Amino acid sequence: MAEYALEVKGLTKSYGSNVVLDNLSFSAGMDDFSVICGKPNNGKSVLVRTIMGLETIDAGSIIVRGEDATQAAAGDRNIGYVPQSFALYPHYSVLENIEYPLVLAKASKATKTESVARVAELLKITDLLAKKPEQLSGGQKQRVAIARGLAKATDVYVLDDPLVGLDFKLRERLIDDLRKTQEELKVAFVYMTSDPLEALSLARTVMILANGKIVQQDSLDVVYDLPNSIASMNSLGFPEANIFPGELSGTTFTSVLGNTKVKVDSVASKVVAGLRPEGISIDSVAGKTDAKVGLLENLGSEFAVYFEVNGINLVTVVSRTDDESLAKLDSKTVSLSYNPEALVLFDADTGMRIGQGVSNV
Amino acid sequence: MSDVTFKPKRKSGPIKFATIGAWLISLLFFLPIAWIVSTALKPKGSIVVSPPVFFFRPTFDNIIEALSFDNTLDYFTHSVIYSFGSVSLAILVSYLAAYSFSRFKPAGTDFLMFLLLSTRFVPAAAFVIPYFQLFNLLRLKDTYIGLIAFYTMFAIPFSVWILKGFLDGVSQRFDETGLVYGASRFHIMFKVILPQVKPGLVAAFVFNILFVWNEFLYNFQLGGAKTYGIPVGLFTGSTKGGGIDWAYVASIGTLYVLPLVVVIYVFQKYLLVGLTFGTVRGEV
Repeated sequence: MAEYALEVKGLTKSYGSNVVLDNLSFSAGMDDFSVICGKPNNGKSVLVRTIMGLETIDAGSIIVRGEDATQAAAGDRNIGYVPQSFALYPHYSVLENIEYPLVLAKASKATKTESVARVAELLKITDLLAKKPEQLSGGQKQRVAIARGLAKATDVYVLDDPLVGLDFKLRERLIDDLRKTQEELKVAFVYMTSDPLEALSLARTVMILANGKIVQQDSLDVVYDLPNSIASMNSLGFPEANIFPGELSGTTFTSVLGNTKVKVDSVASKVVAGLRPEGISIDSVAGKTDAKVGLLENLGSEFAVYFEVNGINLVTVVSRTDDESLAKLDSKTVSLSYNPEALVLFDADTGMRIGQGVSNV
Repeated sequence: MSDVTFKPKRKSGPIKFATIGAWLISLLFFLPIAWIVSTALKPKGSIVVSPPVFFFRPTFDNIIEALSFDNTLDYFTHSVIYSFGSVSLAILVSYLAAYSFSRFKPAGTDFLMFLLLSTRFVPAAAFVIPYFQLFNLLRLKDTYIGLIAFYTMFAIPFSVWILKGFLDGVSQRFDETGLVYGASRFHIMFKVILPQVKPGLVAAFVFNILFVWNEFLYNFQLGGAKTYGIPVGLFTGSTKGGGIDWAYVASIGTLYVLPLVVVIYVFQKYLLVGLTFGTVRGEV
């Protein structure tokens, strides 16, 4: 068995002078749930289309199961596919839609019946099989599209942002279903998303797509805690990470939050710090930082709280049950403390990581 | 504020008036057909009389007589063969062309589409003589192949325009999904996309049938005894006995509109959608 389900090497694609994919490389392991997370307009759709063989490429190679598939026709790549738009055929019933890939593969009647029953069971749409797509709700359509993508047994699946536009509760449930499905089938899922929260809840391996490149590929923990670039840090998590300026002298980083002892791997003339919202906490009503309390955004189980410190905007999250912190917000200004180990330093010009925080000074 | 009272609008008044107006205008358009059909059913003696007869005992004598003429049934057979033959062929060719224009977007698609339609800019009469000569030269005069080829060519531009409008409204994601699952392009064209543009196919079919069915000039010039259709038959037959045979004109006219009425009635549902040229679009 090949080591990787899918490898992309040096993929480049441009439209005129607009370079959409720029020497992009990544690999997705067998049996792995790989999530590619990128903000909208970062070439995500083009990447999917090139992988699926729906778009020609300018340079690079696409290797499926260890075999070069760069020149292979879309239908010969044998990759399961869940498109972003459901693209359910309106003149087919749900059943016919799901078994469509099997019909094209000239599967036997028994295989068809069995496969449809299996995926319908998995996605809980057995009772919808006789209906036409127009009779389904958005969530049901999505599940039918996923079922169709999974119907033909193969070992590599590409899912293009299949949960986009669905309501919150349904997403939660489908995210759960998808993860279980992948574990059960023991196959490779390559999952594209523009939603940083979805990436967090699904990923084992996460890849950050930014500016036409995979800027970082690693386990979720590493990418989340030690992003290698500002782009990478910004792509995961919600609310978005705090990026703020400061001065680096030797191993001391000075910013609005105070002085931090840092470990620096390389030098940069201008430095910015990145700190995830949960790295900041509300310390006391009066203290060393003078943070003006701004907007409170209700996220359900927690609040995103926005501050302004000497002209710099910062955000943190406070649990709904954290009455102590919430009470402090009643005063107009508070003092903030932070976890120095969560601080990451970037070169302001290149956006790449140059160091990380160690402790408070 | 409270002393302002609103008079409820009378529901029946203006609306009913508009409805009656619409009916009157529609009836006005219907008059020629009413005249033809009623004339066909009148006894011979009350067809051309003054004052006109409005009440009479309907008779099928005129129609039976018209049908008994030597060529009448032939005219119908010819008309059906070249109309339905050419339009069916044109729809098939146009679908393939429109699909290619819509999906592959060859360089200069807009200009090519314009060029295609421009063949219909020129008055038909301007080309009668060249075509007559060409058909004589190629020995196509008075053959089905010649007439069907000619009418097919005439029906293609509008059909391509109508169908491209519909195809543009069908998301390419359908094609791509099919391709990824291993479908051939032909499978996608005919099994996946074609069912979704049925109203467009019907609209293109009906519009062109109306045109070819009614076409007189080219059938008269390029056809012959073996291929003359009803319009030519009607024209030549109406003056057979010296004067104008109104009973014959009305009878053949009645039979002539009948197939069109049936076709349009059957496909009305699709036609209403088709008349919007696929501009009412829904994403999937």
